Amino acid sequence: MMLTVYRTLLRLYPAEHRELFGEEMLAVLREESDDHTKKKLLARGRFFAREITGLVNGALHEHFRAWIEIQDGLSLATGRFNMRNGFRFPKTTIVFMALILAGVVTAIKKGEDIAASVPNVDPPLPIHIQPVHSILLGGLPLFFAFFYAAGLIGWAIMFALRRSGTHRLDNMSAGQK
Amino acid sequence: MTLYDMSPKAIIESLPLSEPVLLILLSLAGQPQHGYSILKDVERMSDGRVVLSTGTLYGALRRLLDDDWIERFEEEETSRGRQAYRLTPQGRRNLQGEIDRMKNLTRLATLRVATKES
Repeated sequence: MMLTVYRTLLRLYPAEHRELFGEEMLAVLREESDDHTKKKLLARGRFFAREITGLVNGALHEHFRAWIEIQDGLSLATGRFNMRNGFRFPKTTIVFMALILAGVVTAIKKGEDIAASVPNVDPPLPIHIQPVHSILLGGLPLFFAFFYAAGLIGWAIMFALRRSGTHRLDNMSAGQK
Repeated sequence: MTLYDMSPKAIIESLPLSEPVLLILLSLAGQPQHGYSILKDVERMSDGRVVLSTGTLYGALRRLLDDDWIERFEEEETSRGRQAYRLTPQGRRNLQGEIDRMKNLTRLATLRVATKES
């Protein structure tokens, strides 16, 4: 019965940890349980409580650690970009991102040129062209909100893929080779 | 970042080790051990004061593996679910660093206490 409880609690751990240590942990728990079968009820109760607390704490800690690793890997502020293989962008993404950035910069420059070419007369012309800065500043919060939302969706997709264990397929095919 | 990438200063900064981690490393200092034998050894070394749960042990082993202080040791006859671990050269060096640090601390403490008493 206790082994069933342990097995259930082991499911609280991240899949990666379970793959690496699940069998071992269960074997150790089994050996420890065998040690305690002849002991007094109090000692057995203490052992049971210690193991359950340890497993729950350990699972929480591992989830937290995995989360920190993802955050750490995504952090550009620290100058590190050590994403795990499962989360790594294809190299072409960098090229596309650079192209998009170049496009945005060119568009801004063009906009500035157009704004500069319009004569600044008083009273203003009937067709008023809004300067590009004010367009950008006005839409800036919306601009950031859009990209923030896109980033969040991207992160959620990666997180969902990781939870589904898709990244393990890579290991499987690598192992088969 | 592994310890191979760390400067000696950074390694020193990772000290002091917690007592359970120190005891786990000491347990592996003599010979490769399995999870269960590490648990028993730690309990024995600390006279029953430090009793690790399986969750705590494997959390510590995971960190030590990630930092290359220990490594998995393949044995010829290993039953299902029994995996041995041993110290890496780097782990042994760091353990020695911790022991030296403790020795210095103990020497200093002994000197200070002796001076105060005299």
